[in-house]
Amino acid sequence: MTKTAVLICPGRGTYNKTELGYIARHHASRRELIRQFDAMRMENGQESVSSLDGAERFIASKHTSGDAASPLIYASSYLDALSLSQGIDVVAVTGNSMGWYTALAVGGALSAQDGFRVVNTMGTLMHENLVGGQIIYPFVDTDWRPIPGKKGEITDTVARINEREGHFLTVSIDLGGMLVVAGDAPGLAAFEREMPPCQERFPMRLGNHAAFHSSVLAPVAESGRKALLADMFGQPVHPLIDGRGQIWWPGATDTGALWSYTLGHQVTETYDFSKAIACAAHEFAPDYFIVTGPGTTLGSAVAQSLIQIEWHGLRSKSDFQKLQTEGPLLASMGMDDQRPLVAA
Amino acid sequence: MNDRVEIVHQNFLNRVAAGLLPPGAPPRAGLAPRDAVSLYYAQCTSRAMDRTSRVMQSRGQGFYTIGSSGHEGMAAVAHALRPSDIAFLHYRDTAFQIARAQQVAGQQPAWDVLLSFAASSEDPISGGRHKVLGSRALMIPPQTSTIASHLPKAVGAAYGIAAGAKRLPEHRVLPDDAIAVCSFGDASLNHSTAQGAINAASWTAAKSAPLPLLFVCEDNGIGISTKTPEGWVAASTNNRPGLKYFHADGLDIFDTFATALEAAEYVRSRRRPAILHLRMVRLYGHAGADVAAAYLSKAELEADEANDPLLHSVRLLGEAGALSAETALEIYNRAQARIERISVEAVKRPKLKTAGEVMASILPPKRACKPTNGPSPAVRAQVFDSDLKSIEKPQTLSKLINWALTDQMLEHPELTVMGEDVGKKGGVYGVTQKLHGRFGANRVIDTLLDEQSILGLATGMAHNGFIPVPEIQFLAYVHNAEDQIRGEAATLSFFSNGQFTNPMVIRIAGLGYQRGFGGHFHNDNSIAALRDIPGLIIACPSHGADAAMMLRECVRLAREEQRVVVFLEPIALYHTRDLLEENDGKWMRTYPTPEQRIAFGGVGVHGAGKDLAIVTYGNGHYLSQQALPELEIGGIATTIVDLRWIAPLPERQLMEATAHCSRILIVDECRRTGGLNESLMALFSEKTDKPLARVTALDSFIATGPAYAATLPSKEQIVSAATDLAKVPE
Repeated sequence: MTKTAVLICPGRGTYNKTELGYIARHHASRRELIRQFDAMRMENGQESVSSLDGAERFIASKHTSGDAASPLIYASSYLDALSLSQGIDVVAVTGNSMGWYTALAVGGALSAQDGFRVVNTMGTLMHENLVGGQIIYPFVDTDWRPIPGKKGEITDTVARINEREGHFLTVSIDLGGMLVVAGDAPGLAAFEREMPPCQERFPMRLGNHAAFHSSVLAPVAESGRKALLADMFGQPVHPLIDGRGQIWWPGATDTGALWSYTLGHQVTETYDFSKAIACAAHEFAPDYFIVTGPGTTLGSAVAQSLIQIEWHGLRSKSDFQKLQTEGPLLASMGMDDQRPLVAA
Repeated sequence: MNDRVEIVHQNFLNRVAAGLLPPGAPPRAGLAPRDAVSLYYAQCTSRAMDRTSRVMQSRGQGFYTIGSSGHEGMAAVAHALRPSDIAFLHYRDTAFQIARAQQVAGQQPAWDVLLSFAASSEDPISGGRHKVLGSRALMIPPQTSTIASHLPKAVGAAYGIAAGAKRLPEHRVLPDDAIAVCSFGDASLNHSTAQGAINAASWTAAKSAPLPLLFVCEDNGIGISTKTPEGWVAASTNNRPGLKYFHADGLDIFDTFATALEAAEYVRSRRRPAILHLRMVRLYGHAGADVAAAYLSKAELEADEANDPLLHSVRLLGEAGALSAETALEIYNRAQARIERISVEAVKRPKLKTAGEVMASILPPKRACKPTNGPSPAVRAQVFDSDLKSIEKPQTLSKLINWALTDQMLEHPELTVMGEDVGKKGGVYGVTQKLHGRFGANRVIDTLLDEQSILGLATGMAHNGFIPVPEIQFLAYVHNAEDQIRGEAATLSFFSNGQFTNPMVIRIAGLGYQRGFGGHFHNDNSIAALRDIPGLIIACPSHGADAAMMLRECVRLAREEQRVVVFLEPIALYHTRDLLEENDGKWMRTYPTPEQRIAFGGVGVHGAGKDLAIVTYGNGHYLSQQALPELEIGGIATTIVDLRWIAPLPERQLMEATAHCSRILIVDECRRTGGLNESLMALFSEKTDKPLARVTALDSFIATGPAYAATLPSKEQIVSAATDLAKVPE
């Protein structure tokens, strides 16, 4: 029986050591498309995706840099989306951060090649203009229940630091039970000093990340608009949900506006992934939320976003885990035990 | 499910599949193909919601089935407008709201509307209190009206947009170039409220005042079961003075969009009102329980069904090259499936349960207002001019209200007075004298003779940050317009969960005792129709000093607490100077300095006598003070408690003020039935064992001539009742 699904494409930081070889492992049969991606890389004098994916060992400084991670994640994610079982009816597509570019291609607004071009261009631009960084900090407890007042405390701290002379700090991504903040070195350092350590990991810097989704990326956005023209964007074939929770409907999309958002607002303003997931639930009520690969980390942000809106009555991690055992609501294609549920 | 619902559904599927689409004009230019498809999405979503609402109801999970089927062309009207154009919508305008939601990032219109079908407390507009269209983000205040009672405030909102652009009130929400839009059916066009609003718009335009307002009449040719005469809407609306008439085929999104855009641009650029007449059909009957086949022939039903606007859209989209029939069918089917899936989740969301939860939004939220130091002494002196010489001398009630209004208008530039003859004439009793000269015609507005329009003007202006102070010339006149307070202004916070408010201070001149003047219609003493309105405050001063200090508090309650307040002024005391004998001047008061207020609920306590408390207000207070010397001679030590605040009843303060008295006499100049005396008797009976008595007006209308006070309490009755009560053992 057909099951409806919203596809969710992951962002940066999802292709790590354990993902090395992901493309070869899952998508060896898609040689032609991979060859095209490789050719586009090589035309630019960049190492091919196959080569990066097929490296003998994972080199963090190389594989997590923008110009390598972005195409690796895009290719893994896009190819996963092509690998869904026939019983899956995709009712909408969304993504997190860089995953928005993937979503555009998965949703049909960009061709596979143009999607790759957008990702590679933006990833390279980010790499070349690596300004600032990101820190992640939770506002939920270890059972994913919101800690009262915590989110406000984080945003207040961000606002307070940002007001200081010589400091820049802003909310970069609203990511389920966590906020990703972006800023310059003084801003990030102040945040690390002023937010209490928690859950043994936070505040946590994200390696090789820039101050994504913030105003300091305005020059990157402008370069992106010059390099990637609007006529690349077409009508989506699936509804797309962007980082504001806005839906772009097939046949009804102003493609110029979609280009403008993608290489404008999306780059320089807060990316509200939680709202995108809330919109996916409320406006599409799918049977499944499917997180394409690579990686295993975005699923928790999806689940936390669903807990925030009490979707299916979820209020905590334990609720979510129970629901998953009864018949999964969320399937992560990057997880070997869940992939068979939805992959062909 | 109603058979016709299924018939219309199958009809759509079969006809689109077979290419049997209704004929019509080719698509007009102006609507981009992608936008036309977007409108079609909104239409299909709206239709799916109508079908789903019936399924929800059949399962006991949904509570509203009045649908928008046949009226989905309103999506094109939304598209022709901006999301900041305040929209007071007809209840068949789901497609309008969905289409508008596409204009504002991050909206979830399907979820939101389905939550309202399910009466969930998470419904983002009413919090589960009513199924209403509405959204704060989309500038759609909720309407519950089925009788066009939202039209007068749409006139006011349009006036408020134009006035706001010039005067910039602190809490202004509507942009300078916005317009107001209000929609309604062909049946409610006949309601006096609609006729009054259209007339008021025409009248205003004839006065050359800016009024950016678009009326939209959704003409489906029938009101529940009563057919509208052929051509009636056009004949009734297309020759109104100052009101430009537009007409479009509401079944055709291309024609509707092009015409609505033309109309909106006319209204926006000219700042003049217009009416857009859309011919539509009504599918499925009036609501879920209504079976249209009981009063329409099968042929009539089938004729409307053949003109399903969704079928017209499929034809037009195909002709415009925007969408194939196959894709159109897929969009329709996907919308149905999507809305059904969402509804399954929406019905699981929490509902209101307790009285406290239901009532939580009766009172609007408080809001921060910028502090004001008031006018400089120089400015104040200039404005008060010659009145300043007499400001320390005792004055009448009328004069002190006038001065309090002057000070409040000086201090708060958003205050705006409106009413019949309030301008140059200064009101029929002179209460607003000189205000027109002091503040100009923009702040002291002479209105047409229509209380619904006066209250609608106030309500609408309040939507854009003004604090209106409408005057109702006589209490009896409020009754023809009372729904504008009861059903509209007082309910707005309740139905919008506190998101929309219309704070104002309604001055009403009323009550009896005018010697030989006017009879009932100028001496009405019935306030029962106001007293039971939840959240409404009624203040009633009895002399000038209290009036000034209470009026200041009323303005504060409106500005800071967003309350709707009635300030009931006893006409007979307006110019009363003396209390006990001619020229004693004992009912005049000096003007309290501007910072003095009487707090909401604070009662006036006069004397400390322990034998008897007289609880009264307005003229009753005056009469009780007249009776006091005789009571003292009779050895009855008396305390007089002036209620001041009639609603809500200040129970705690009353109990405190009468605690030391052994007996309580209630003096109520309103009727024995429905008068305040009933509530006071109940209060004291429930909370004390003290002997009680009451002197009230009789259940009569008021006569003119010598018998003007024959049915009203008198000083003699008070003395007599007090004397009798004093004899009752404690």
